[in-house]
Amino acid sequence: MSNASRKRAASAVAPQPPPPKQVLMTQEEDFMDEDVFIDQTLVSEDEESLILRDIEQRHALAARLSKWTRPPLSDDYVAQSRGVVFQQLEIDYVIGESHRELLPNLSGPAAIIRIFGVTKEGHSVCCNVHGFEPYFYISCPPGMGPDDISHFHQALEGRMREANRNSNVGKFVRRIEMVQRRSIMYYQQSDSQPFLKIVVALPTMVASCRGILDRGIQLDGLGMKSFLTYESNVLFALRFMIDCNIVGGNWIEILAGKYKKIVKSLSYCQLEFDCLYSDLISHAPEGEYSKMAPFRILSFDIECAGRKGHFPEPSHDPVIQIANLVTLQGEDQPLIRNVMTLKSCSPIVGVDVMSFDTEREVLLAWRDFLREVDPDIIIGYNICKFDLPYLIERAANLKIAEFPILGRIRNSRVRVKDTTFSSRQYGTRESKEVTVEGRVQFDLLQVMQRDYKLSSYSLNSVSAHFLSEQKEDVHHSIISDLQNGTAETRRRLAVYCLKDAYLPQRLLDKLMFIYNYVEMARVTGVPISFLLSRGQSIKVLSQLLRKARQKNLVIPNVKQVGSEQGTFEGATVLEARAGFYEKPIATLDFASLYPSIMMAYNLCYCTLVTSEDARKLNIPSESLNRTPSGETFVKSNLQKGILPEILEELLTARKRAKADLKEAKDPLERAVLDGRQLALKISANSVYGFTGATIGQLPCLEISSSVTSYGRQMIEHTKKLVEDKFTTLNGYEHNAEVIYGDTDSVMVQFGVSAVEQAMNLGREAAEYISGTFTKPIKLEFEKVYYPYLLISKKRYAGLFWTKPDKFDKMDTKGIETVRRDNCLLVKNLVNDCLHKILIDRDIPGAVQYVKNAISDLLRNRMDLSLLVITKGLTKTGDDYEVKAAHVELAERMRKRDAATAPNVGDRVPYVIIKGAKGAKAYEKSEDPIYVLENNIPIDAQYYLENQISKPILRIFEPILKNASRELLHGSHTRSISISTPSNSGLWKFAKKELTCIGCKAVLGKDHHTVCSHCKGREAELYCKTVSRVSELEMHFGKLWTQCQECQGSLHQDILCTSRDCPIFYRRKKAQKEMSEAQSQLDRWSF
Amino acid sequence: MGIERVQCDYVSLDETFEIGKEKYHGQQYCHIYFARLHLMRTLLYSLVPHWKPNFPVCTVLELEEGKECVIVGTLYKHMKLKPRVLDEYSKQKSVVPLVKPHNFMHSDDYLVLEDESGRVKLSGNIIPPEYVTGIVVAVLGKESGAGDFLVQDVLDAGLPPQIEFPLKSGEDKYVVLVSGLSVGSSTSNPLQFQLLIDHITGHLGDEKAQLFASKIVQVVFAGNLVEIPHRILNGQNLASEDFARMSEPIRELDILLSQIAAGLPLDIMPGPSDPANFSLPQQSLHECLFPGSSSYNTFRSCTNPHCFELDNVRFLGTSGQNVDDLDKYSDAKDKLEFMERTLRWRHLAPTAPNTLGCFPFTERDPFFIESCPHVYFVGNQDKFETRIIKGSEGQLVRLICVPKFSETGVAVMLNLRDIECHALSFTLDL
Repeated sequence: MSNASRKRAASAVAPQPPPPKQVLMTQEEDFMDEDVFIDQTLVSEDEESLILRDIEQRHALAARLSKWTRPPLSDDYVAQSRGVVFQQLEIDYVIGESHRELLPNLSGPAAIIRIFGVTKEGHSVCCNVHGFEPYFYISCPPGMGPDDISHFHQALEGRMREANRNSNVGKFVRRIEMVQRRSIMYYQQSDSQPFLKIVVALPTMVASCRGILDRGIQLDGLGMKSFLTYESNVLFALRFMIDCNIVGGNWIEILAGKYKKIVKSLSYCQLEFDCLYSDLISHAPEGEYSKMAPFRILSFDIECAGRKGHFPEPSHDPVIQIANLVTLQGEDQPLIRNVMTLKSCSPIVGVDVMSFDTEREVLLAWRDFLREVDPDIIIGYNICKFDLPYLIERAANLKIAEFPILGRIRNSRVRVKDTTFSSRQYGTRESKEVTVEGRVQFDLLQVMQRDYKLSSYSLNSVSAHFLSEQKEDVHHSIISDLQNGTAETRRRLAVYCLKDAYLPQRLLDKLMFIYNYVEMARVTGVPISFLLSRGQSIKVLSQLLRKARQKNLVIPNVKQVGSEQGTFEGATVLEARAGFYEKPIATLDFASLYPSIMMAYNLCYCTLVTSEDARKLNIPSESLNRTPSGETFVKSNLQKGILPEILEELLTARKRAKADLKEAKDPLERAVLDGRQLALKISANSVYGFTGATIGQLPCLEISSSVTSYGRQMIEHTKKLVEDKFTTLNGYEHNAEVIYGDTDSVMVQFGVSAVEQAMNLGREAAEYISGTFTKPIKLEFEKVYYPYLLISKKRYAGLFWTKPDKFDKMDTKGIETVRRDNCLLVKNLVNDCLHKILIDRDIPGAVQYVKNAISDLLRNRMDLSLLVITKGLTKTGDDYEVKAAHVELAERMRKRDAATAPNVGDRVPYVIIKGAKGAKAYEKSEDPIYVLENNIPIDAQYYLENQISKPILRIFEPILKNASRELLHGSHTRSISISTPSNSGLWKFAKKELTCIGCKAVLGKDHHTVCSHCKGREAELYCKTVSRVSELEMHFGKLWTQCQECQGSLHQDILCTSRDCPIFYRRKKAQKEMSEAQSQLDRWSF
Repeated sequence: MGIERVQCDYVSLDETFEIGKEKYHGQQYCHIYFARLHLMRTLLYSLVPHWKPNFPVCTVLELEEGKECVIVGTLYKHMKLKPRVLDEYSKQKSVVPLVKPHNFMHSDDYLVLEDESGRVKLSGNIIPPEYVTGIVVAVLGKESGAGDFLVQDVLDAGLPPQIEFPLKSGEDKYVVLVSGLSVGSSTSNPLQFQLLIDHITGHLGDEKAQLFASKIVQVVFAGNLVEIPHRILNGQNLASEDFARMSEPIRELDILLSQIAAGLPLDIMPGPSDPANFSLPQQSLHECLFPGSSSYNTFRSCTNPHCFELDNVRFLGTSGQNVDDLDKYSDAKDKLEFMERTLRWRHLAPTAPNTLGCFPFTERDPFFIESCPHVYFVGNQDKFETRIIKGSEGQLVRLICVPKFSETGVAVMLNLRDIECHALSFTLDL
């Protein structure tokens, strides 16, 4: 993976510094436990026997699948004479009967934690952990004695019983203990206070109990009293992990004799046993235990036969193929490649093709396959939103009740529910959540949307971006035709389907997702599945809870407050002095600025002093710190903050990981370490965001506004110091000038013209200024920009130098036109111009380039694919309030041909064509293919005014005096040619007459090619024609052979209709122009 | 007085290379591969019983793990370094322009065998550097566990059958092969070309030399007659001086060719730098370009590739693109070896259409070599090389690399009597 994209990953996940006066991060996340009763999900007895009968019927298939089972257990495992060490990947809980042997004193329903994992031999493990109970805290009302507690217990129990009438639980509140704890909020002088730890029977009762206490409870002698609860919003599985020191994806050991083999196994795992939570040994992910177990990753893709004009729907359209690829973690070749098809399919080399006559058999074969192969992680592209729900709904439609047993628990159906995930950072997305017990789902589409900003998230463009590979894209309307063809055409489809299953695995490998996500889980301590399904804040909360536990602190569950108070001034940037700088610009960066500020000034929940307390507590002023935003915090000699401590640990760990990374030789070890350092960095950066998340778990704007105010101060301070010290008065060659300052960096022009000099001065400045800051705030010198084009704040471009002899790359910010609603022309134009300006240092060349491009555009000589604009059709036309070009076009296309028209969910590519005078832009959109076929003129003026002009002027304004006049209104904009549409009404009445190729004069009967006047120029005119033809032929050859290559077949027609492919329109165009070229040449053959 | 020029029978066999009635109506390239596979498979199937009598012949689809068998299919070479048109769109314009290698081979390259039913990766006893995409071969081997086909032996079609070489008449008749005149280029020297013309037409030297010249029966120009600066043609409106620059070399060429045409028969073939179409087969240069020389009936504008017979001696030649392309995508000890391979593969241009531009034929593959030539030449090579190869059925073929005249001053002289040949060198010591 290239360094550049990794950097992007980091910055995309790390919370962006907020724009001024705005809410920071509003994650509407609700942490809710859901009690699942083990017997409710199970299939009833007679259904079970049905399944068994089914298996017998398909004995042959079973034999075929059985060779993929996991390695058999060795004798000592069978005899239970050895301990079990495994890497856990998934932790959940169910409600079951408490274990009689392990917990002789208890009875009735209890929460049983299930840990799923893999041993290093590759055995699957299901560990049922007993004895861990859900609990939370409330602060103990003053003067409460043991008797009062028991009264309180009774009152609470009574209220709980009222609230949960239908429940058959014997005792709701198991016990209430008095413990000594302290709240994390605000600086307190006393070490601890009495708290009540309320232990309840089932996890969901925490919430219901909290509700009662929030609203208030009638207590003898105290009257109606409501309580602030502490740690009542911690998910049960996470609570367990925190209390047992288990972090996501770490190794767990249970010694021999400490576990009991299960009598009647409930899961399909090889090793399934019961144990007490206190007997678990959790290993920190270090040394031997930082490795990954050989877990099994299944990548799959399904194909459905849609009807013409409709996107496949599970109520109508059958699942016709399922392609699977199973890879062992750490191996580069898949272990299994197979495809299950409806109806016969010709063999594919190296792939196990299984064909079935009915859809029912296909679905059940897949279920059996899943059970036999027993994958730990299921990956794919859009599987969570499409493939898995589709399979399940389809099976429901076909009344195959036994299908959705896909998890690791015997006869347990998967659970499906609609969810909306919404977070400020990732936006709102609706999806279906399919719970497959014991298997982690890792949808690459979700990961991509989370970690990368891309102009398109189709599998095609994602693979083009990361794997530089185009994927053949078969339109879903063709899929049915292929399915209804022969075994050969279905084979064609199967190959395509396999590729779709293979690409997610390739992406997973290439982008090291397994390593990065497992490391993130280890660093933040949450289960891997949380990372994708939940936002940032749970990661910080998990770390906070762990740290707090060590310190005997408890975290209040504060009522979520509205956003009205949640505004504060964000980071400021120094005014950008726009211009084109042809002298080196040194960049001084604050390393991890926000974390450093929090550490330097000991900013934390537990160091915050309210103004009231400040007066009351009589704290010596030298132990206090007033932040520029006016808050007060105590210094670390009185109380060391937890957040600074967490950050310190994260940053030290990152330093260590980076140092280890330098040493490490083994590529797998390197991958782990690199994933770790990245996870550590992201985690450190998200702490600040957590404190500012107004609808978060524990917002504390005093902290976040202090952080940003310090940040602003540092930047201003740096600017001042630089401009005061580096002056001619102080003996320097030039006066330094700060031309721009961003959130955590300052750009300085020292005035010197050599890169090396600028680097030396930069280093000197960084060292000098760092000395004036409180540790660990540090200013670092990293790079020089030379030349540097500063357009406005957050928009700049420059060549990036870290060594004096050669620049590293071209770096741009805020200029790249990755925006979806720009056509490729804009992007290319901007990139090429920057290239010319910065690298070639050829401004006239860049100007000429733009002029040529504009002239080409106006003369209609632009490659159409560069002009295509693409937008997603998210709802039908009626639902849009404003008329939009792509929606209107989709409507028009539906009228033309409903079968190929885009549907909701498709992306609609269009170009803007010349329309009637005064026509609205949305009326002038047209299908690019239609435009090609009918020779429709493009509205060049639209592209010039609405697409090109702004981005281009932005670049050139700092460079040219009259950029607009020079670029957009020069003589090159005068010659405009419009090709005549060949399909318009009037054209039908036109009479075709041959004209002279040389002078366009109408030819008489005696001439065919040129008129007598041009006869003498024949050779030259011929040369022109032939050179054009030869160019077209060259293109044609290159384009069509490329598509053959992508398709992976020389002997079959190319079906691909991927409009995301950069050569799609060119290829279409080449096809059309070939016949035109031929007829042009034919005119000479008289 | 005067010496009578020797005469000779000329038969043009270019018809197969004429696009003529082929119409382009949106077809793709799979048809030409299909036609090629079909032709070659019939041929190879007839050879397999002699080659490996005891093994079954099957298609890629019918492969089973461990079963030894013979399969016939089109090779596809997967090449890591092969330039792709998609790269033109790559997001990151590389800052340092990549050094263009003259050859795109890499040690990771591998071969895939494909027929209509599917494709399989080849491993084992087959050497990727020797092969290119587009060749049809038969391979013996078996499918390994990993899904590869483990090759034990490879069979190519071998030299095609040859028409009988005419009985020796005892009379010397010479054919002159020239390529790469590149009139209008910086390397071209008009005086040098004039010397060649004077020599051929017998205007140079003593009586002995003239006698020798009189035995020249045919001149063939194998491509790149002129060089027109391409950038001139890219612009939309040509300035008048550009017109002149463009047509000047052609006019000059016409004058020079007229001098030859006045004396003896002459064939011109288009090459990559000529004003002709790009893809193979290149169609004959239009006569309107040569108003002077085309008025002689000795002047023939031919296709590239070009095939003809002189006194029943069969010639086959190209302007060099086929061999140059093989040189980019495969490896051999010299250019002649590439030429020999194309004969053994029975395909003049196997890399078309993959890396060599080619018309999308639907019904046929014009590059299939049905009959073995006696003389096989390629133009526009760096140096003059020649060798005779022998086929298993007694075929004898003279292979000739015709060097670029503008750079080497060398033309090639071939004696029809015994297909011996030698270089004619014109050096100017100025």
